[in-house]
Amino acid sequence: MARSKKTSDSEMLQGTLDMLILKTLVMGPAHGHTIAHIIEQASEEFLQVEQGSLYPALHRLEDRGWLSSSWGASENNRKAKFYKLTAAGRRQLVQETSRWRQIVRAIGLVIGEDEA
Amino acid sequence: MSVRRFFSRKRSDEDLRREMEEHIELERYLNLERGLGEKEATRQALIKFGSRQRVREDIWRMNSVTFFEKLLRDFSYAVRTLLRSPGFTVLAVITLALGIGANTAIFTVINGVLLRPLPYLNPGQIVHLEQTATRVGPDRIGFSVQEVQDYRQQSRSFSDLSEYHSMTFTLLGAKVPQRVVTGVVSANYFNVLGVRPALGRLINPSDETMSAPPVIMLSYAYWVKAFGADPKILGRPFTMNDRVHTVIGVLPPLPEFPDANDVYMPTTSCPFRSSQGMIANRDARVLTVLARLKPGVTLTQAQADINTIGHRLALSYPKSYPPAAGLAMKITPLQQELTHAARPTLLMLLGASGLVLLLACANLANLALSRQLHRSRETAIRLASGASTWDIFRQLMAESMTVALAGGILGLGIAMATVRVLVAYAARMTPLATDIHLDSHVLLFSFIVALITGVLFGSIPGFIASRSRLSLIAGSGERTAGSERGTRTRNILVAAQVAFSFVLLVGAGLMMRSLYNLLSVDPGFKTAEVLSMNLPLNWTKYSDLKTQNTFFQQIVERAQQIPGTQSVALSSMVPLNNTEGGMNGGITVEGRAVVPGEPLPQVDHQLSTPDYFRVLGIPMLSGRTFTDADTSNSARVAIVNAQMAQHYWPHLDPIGRRVSTDEGKTWTTIVGVVSNVHQYGLSQDFKDVLYFPQAQVTFMGDPSLLIRTRNEPTQLADQVTTIIHQIDSQQPVTDIRTLDQLRNAQLGTPRVTSILLGTFAGVALFITLVGVIGTMGLSVTRRTKELGIRMALGATRREILFNVLRHGMAPVVAGIFGGAIAAALTTSVLTSMLFGIAPHDRVTPATIAILLTTVALIGCLIPGRRAIRIDPMKALRSE
Repeated sequence: MARSKKTSDSEMLQGTLDMLILKTLVMGPAHGHTIAHIIEQASEEFLQVEQGSLYPALHRLEDRGWLSSSWGASENNRKAKFYKLTAAGRRQLVQETSRWRQIVRAIGLVIGEDEA
Repeated sequence: MSVRRFFSRKRSDEDLRREMEEHIELERYLNLERGLGEKEATRQALIKFGSRQRVREDIWRMNSVTFFEKLLRDFSYAVRTLLRSPGFTVLAVITLALGIGANTAIFTVINGVLLRPLPYLNPGQIVHLEQTATRVGPDRIGFSVQEVQDYRQQSRSFSDLSEYHSMTFTLLGAKVPQRVVTGVVSANYFNVLGVRPALGRLINPSDETMSAPPVIMLSYAYWVKAFGADPKILGRPFTMNDRVHTVIGVLPPLPEFPDANDVYMPTTSCPFRSSQGMIANRDARVLTVLARLKPGVTLTQAQADINTIGHRLALSYPKSYPPAAGLAMKITPLQQELTHAARPTLLMLLGASGLVLLLACANLANLALSRQLHRSRETAIRLASGASTWDIFRQLMAESMTVALAGGILGLGIAMATVRVLVAYAARMTPLATDIHLDSHVLLFSFIVALITGVLFGSIPGFIASRSRLSLIAGSGERTAGSERGTRTRNILVAAQVAFSFVLLVGAGLMMRSLYNLLSVDPGFKTAEVLSMNLPLNWTKYSDLKTQNTFFQQIVERAQQIPGTQSVALSSMVPLNNTEGGMNGGITVEGRAVVPGEPLPQVDHQLSTPDYFRVLGIPMLSGRTFTDADTSNSARVAIVNAQMAQHYWPHLDPIGRRVSTDEGKTWTTIVGVVSNVHQYGLSQDFKDVLYFPQAQVTFMGDPSLLIRTRNEPTQLADQVTTIIHQIDSQQPVTDIRTLDQLRNAQLGTPRVTSILLGTFAGVALFITLVGVIGTMGLSVTRRTKELGIRMALGATRREILFNVLRHGMAPVVAGIFGGAIAAALTTSVLTSMLFGIAPHDRVTPATIAILLTTVALIGCLIPGRRAIRIDPMKALRSE
């Protein structure tokens, strides 16, 4: 689970970390550190990935067959475990994204905000 | 979570550790780039990552299958606990191994004999037809050729009906003349059984005509034994009964049923079976009939079918089916026919070994229970620190399962080692014993038995333990002693053990008394130092009385001259050799009216040379024995046994009276009376026997040579054989045995049964004794304080001892009562195995009850002595 740094007591919805990981990997294989880094940068440092959740999440996603992993050389030429999106993972990402959009829209409608 | 992941947890954890290290290293590197100091960069990276241990644990748990996990943990804990008390563990494993081993070994035999389908095609359809003269005796009388033809033509229930009988012929053409047991069969015999030849072809109908060239088939065993499984055997000629027979095929390995035949020939090749007299005589009933039921026909229908034919034949041929004989037909499935002798014994033994195992379980449950009581503090602590009762129960079950499985594996080894002995034993009772081996059924059986055992002896302590009270931690009260519930359970277990062993002891007692009865049967003759051998006659060569007499005289005279022989005789029978049936026939007694329509009274006929009664030491009661003066030219004489004299001439002297074996055409004078002999077996009743001098009657069967020796009889065997071969080089000599060997062979089966049952009972008694002492000992320990108080209040030692014994003996007495009831209900299964004693004999259980009580009392005295030595002061202070 990822937690927002600035509003420390608000937690991300269950399953959002999975979706973010899948989304990150659309651009190509990456290792755990890169994935966390990209999520943080893309959210303009709003979302801080708690590493304690990152690895169990990766493990879970791999177990479900959405990711595959292999050992390769990292940017500073050390061994690292790279995760890659599988076809099933891609389909899952599409589903989760559209579902997320629905939720955001629905919540937006309820609380009556113009911009999400 | 997948099981694959479960088993690769260690590796994936290692991967994760490296992955996380890498992550932190990268983070540290970034921090350095951001301009942090070396130390601070590392610190920040570690802080950011958080607890690596927690991540590892989370993922480890994700990879776990809780059930497996707990199971593995329970088992590894169980192994460690058990290793910490090796005494208990070794005792328990060995006890169970013996119990499971005995059960597995006996089950292996049962599996091979009773459970495996017969090696024939659709064996359920094969039936055995029997004809008995119900008013004459229970023995089967077989079928005549005429009857076989009638049943074959008239029955509607069988797709095929075949005949069989066994002969012994000499086979010439191998290295030495060989005596071969020959199955004489109709051409459809092997079709009825549904077997395919291992080599060559089966006998077919075109072989079964008088004009066809004679053919034989070899049994698999004989082919291997005599010809080293030579595949070129096909087409090889052998001479039998002066005709050349060609080998056309070899049979596959089959049960030795109806006999252990070496070769098979069609009915037309057998001189005896193909003689006109045999074919035409409706009363010459010597054939065995096997038939195959048509598909869909039940046994009841087939039985009704043959009954109808039987009635029809009785109406058509009243002379052959006199109403006084009460001829009746019976149909038996082949499987039953093959196993009926072994089934009750094997099932009884399985029951007995099952009881021993149950008893062992009860004892181990008791042991485990007292172990548990010692550990009750540990249990209480575990309960207090969050273990569920199910956790406690499961852990104890894991312990008992570990012990049971170890016992099962060891037991399987014991079974493998002992099953050969049992096979030899079973072979006496059934022809199916040759093909007994451990297979998957046996493995499954021992595994299941081990599991059941584990559950049985683990669940009771498990149940008690999971109910431990937390107050035990405080150490108040029954610290080492255990609860009231535990004591009651232990008493019930002891009672159960006593009851089980009571049943076993009664069974063993009955078997042993039966064996003793058999052993003390006086066979009527002296078995020591008598050598016997069979001389199967070549009928073509020795066809008449004259040639026979010359041949026999030579043998007797020459054998007499061997140093070490006392006396020599030839006879048509060797006593106690139950493979040979006796000859019998109807007689007419002079002065007794023959009732028309009634069959003639039947007596056994036996031929012998003069010294027969001397060789066997059969006492002459009156009159004279045969002499050399009784020749074919002198008056016909005979000797009767005491029973026949009693039956036919009660209160009269039979000497000088005359009988006829040919309905009055010729008469034979009785010249002597000899005492009775158990001719056919120690457990068989005496029969009426009429002895004829060999010199006056032509031999029809194979004579046996009997020699009384001064020393060990077997030493003379070679010399005698040489002499016989000097007289006739083609004369086979078979079945060389001493009468003691024959007698021991008779006793073999009951002896082994008694030994097995006796061993089971002995083990049971020992286990029970251990159980009683253990329970009593614990009870005394538990009551130390109470007994101390009683003593302090003035109870005498006698009263204390009496009190302790009363507590200890109560479950024993209850067990004896339970056992007595159980024994009364179950010993009837022994009926067919007992000789000279009824299964509901009262003396045996009474003796056993006294024995068990005495043993238990002695067992109780050991802790009892400890009880009266309790020092009240110490006892009161100790807690």
